[in-house]
Amino acid sequence: MRKSVTPGAISTLLSNSSPDSLSDIPEIIVQVVDLKPIGSSSTRFTFMASDGKMKLKAMLPTHFSSEINSGNLQNLGLIRILDYTCNSIPNQPEKALIVTKCEIVCPSLGMEIKSDVKKEETGITLKPKQEALGVTSKPKQEMVTKSAVQIVREQHGNAAPAARLAMTRRVHPLASLNPYQGNWTIKVRLTNKGNLRSYRNARGEGHVFNVELTDEDGTQIQATMFNEAATKFYPMFELGKVYYISKGSLRVANKQFKTVQNDYEMTLNENSVVEEAEGEAFVPETKYNFVRIDGLGAYVNGRELVDLIGIVQNVSSTLSIRRKSNNDTIPKRDITIADDSNKTVNVSLWNDLATDVGQQLLDMVDTSPVVAIKCLKVGDFQGVSLSTLSRSTVVINPELPETKKLRCWYDSEGKGTSMASIGSNLISPNSKPGSRSMHSDRVFLSQITDDPTLGQDKPAFFSINVYVSFIKPDQTMWYRACKTCNKKVTEAVGSGYWCESCQKNDDQCSLRYILVVKVSDPSGEAWLSVFNDPAEKIMGCSADELDRIKTEEGDEKYQLKLKEATWVPHLFRVSVAYTEYMNDRRQRITVRAEAPVDCAAESRYLLEEIHKLSVS
Amino acid sequence: MDTSSPAVFVNAEILKMYLGRRVRAVIQVIRNDAGVIVGQSTDGNQITVKGAQAFPPSHFVEVIGIADGSQSIRAEICTDFGQSFDMAAYNGLCQLANGKFKNLFL
Repeated sequence: MRKSVTPGAISTLLSNSSPDSLSDIPEIIVQVVDLKPIGSSSTRFTFMASDGKMKLKAMLPTHFSSEINSGNLQNLGLIRILDYTCNSIPNQPEKALIVTKCEIVCPSLGMEIKSDVKKEETGITLKPKQEALGVTSKPKQEMVTKSAVQIVREQHGNAAPAARLAMTRRVHPLASLNPYQGNWTIKVRLTNKGNLRSYRNARGEGHVFNVELTDEDGTQIQATMFNEAATKFYPMFELGKVYYISKGSLRVANKQFKTVQNDYEMTLNENSVVEEAEGEAFVPETKYNFVRIDGLGAYVNGRELVDLIGIVQNVSSTLSIRRKSNNDTIPKRDITIADDSNKTVNVSLWNDLATDVGQQLLDMVDTSPVVAIKCLKVGDFQGVSLSTLSRSTVVINPELPETKKLRCWYDSEGKGTSMASIGSNLISPNSKPGSRSMHSDRVFLSQITDDPTLGQDKPAFFSINVYVSFIKPDQTMWYRACKTCNKKVTEAVGSGYWCESCQKNDDQCSLRYILVVKVSDPSGEAWLSVFNDPAEKIMGCSADELDRIKTEEGDEKYQLKLKEATWVPHLFRVSVAYTEYMNDRRQRITVRAEAPVDCAAESRYLLEEIHKLSVS
Repeated sequence: MDTSSPAVFVNAEILKMYLGRRVRAVIQVIRNDAGVIVGQSTDGNQITVKGAQAFPPSHFVEVIGIADGSQSIRAEICTDFGQSFDMAAYNGLCQLANGKFKNLFL
């Protein structure tokens, strides 16, 4: 007969913790597993008594230790329990089996006996037994319950953490998020990361940054983080990576600052959860929101970015534009796009887009390729002009239904028709290019001089129609300028002039105007600072020429020249800034551009203003 | 300065209201017949000017005289304004001068 454990032995032992007599004990054979000495003793041994299904912590009688020491009973051996007690151990839910008398059935089976029977069943069957015996001790029950939990844990313990997470995490599409439902998790890719900015306002200081998130469907949303959350998440977020995000809050987006198409925007705080999705990359489908060329007028100078699709008609060569702020040179390329609204528009590609994609387009311009551009800024240069930003993307001949449509239209009619630039429609036909800006933001002088808060952060621009009323004859009219870069030169040791920025000496310099003039209009007067180009228009001659008149022809002629410039009307484009000048805060009005007064245009402007007066 | 009978700024429409009165209008010369100029008024309608010398076609001429017909003026003074003139602005002036701001002019 093959010796084996008694099925249900442990439960039998537990159910009858203190048998009254030896005859009450049925045949109980258990396997000895995890046999080990207690501490460093060689007489006291502890083991787990196993019946193949359950295990029970147990202790061998001291007199039995000799059997273990001699090897008659080893780990994985079988013993028949003849007398025992089950004791509760303080502070532990389980009971312990104290074997008082037993006999060896088999020294070692060589392996642990395990059965496949569902342990829950044992749990179920055990309870009635326990209840029947009236021994409803809490520890027992707990042990049972624990087994069930342990089983579940064991079953799933082998699963990889990501898989486990995916099972427990329901990903919501971005389009389904709203401020009234808080329990969501989204899986998104970081498609744009802003810079960490510091700010100061009435409530104190802080820093903030925002990101653009896109999910698998292509829906986008902007998420903002302040202060602690910003510091916490800024290093975590990396462009292009995929994250699981939850516990953010949603609110209706501020349309003024919207950069993506979503009614809501998200805020993440320190309690929000952001986890990188390991190995889960998806490339969200780019969602375009195309505007037809004839609809661009509405977006001019607005904050909203547009997407455009059309046929490339023309590609210019690369130009190098120098940035005024730091003298960097940036490559730029202009392309002309036409669409089925029968209008064309100019798009400026900057930096990499100019060099890489721009070159591609130039090479294939004869095939009239279709191009889709995302995130364009709409400006008013020449009426309407589009400009790329760092986040703009250009796709040549994209796989979109619009591509086919445009192709068809162009091949059939577009190629032949001569199309007007949308920009020319938006410039009023009678005004010269450039002078249109002379009419925008028209104000009276009093509006500028009465308001000292103008131009505190950024200079404010206006156009004014004024008469030059006074030019001080004894002011410093000009500065000595470098002939190459127009910057101020200093008189060098010896002869000639030294230019600091060009780092060279020159015998000759040019004189460039820098003066103040007083101007008047029906509302009041003001002093304007004028630099060379507008000044030449006012004075009617260059600074060099005026200097020549002063020195060669005499003071009278010089005064006459100034007089001739007085009481002449001009249209000026001015910038107003609030500057500190030797501890004194002053409003400084600088002329940026000059244009002669166009009476017809002025009349029309006045008619409009009169009309506005009667309407309001 | 004789302010006894100021000339009313008119275009073809408003001319009808001031028959027999002193008016002034700017017209663009269409053609010259014997002593009569046919021109286009600032509102697009036609005006005839009698008793005026010839002016080059497409020039703008200011006519001051008596309105003697729903579409004609008997000229007293004619001035050539040249070739560039903003008809729309003048028309606006005529409407304001005879409408809301009549008291400023008459």
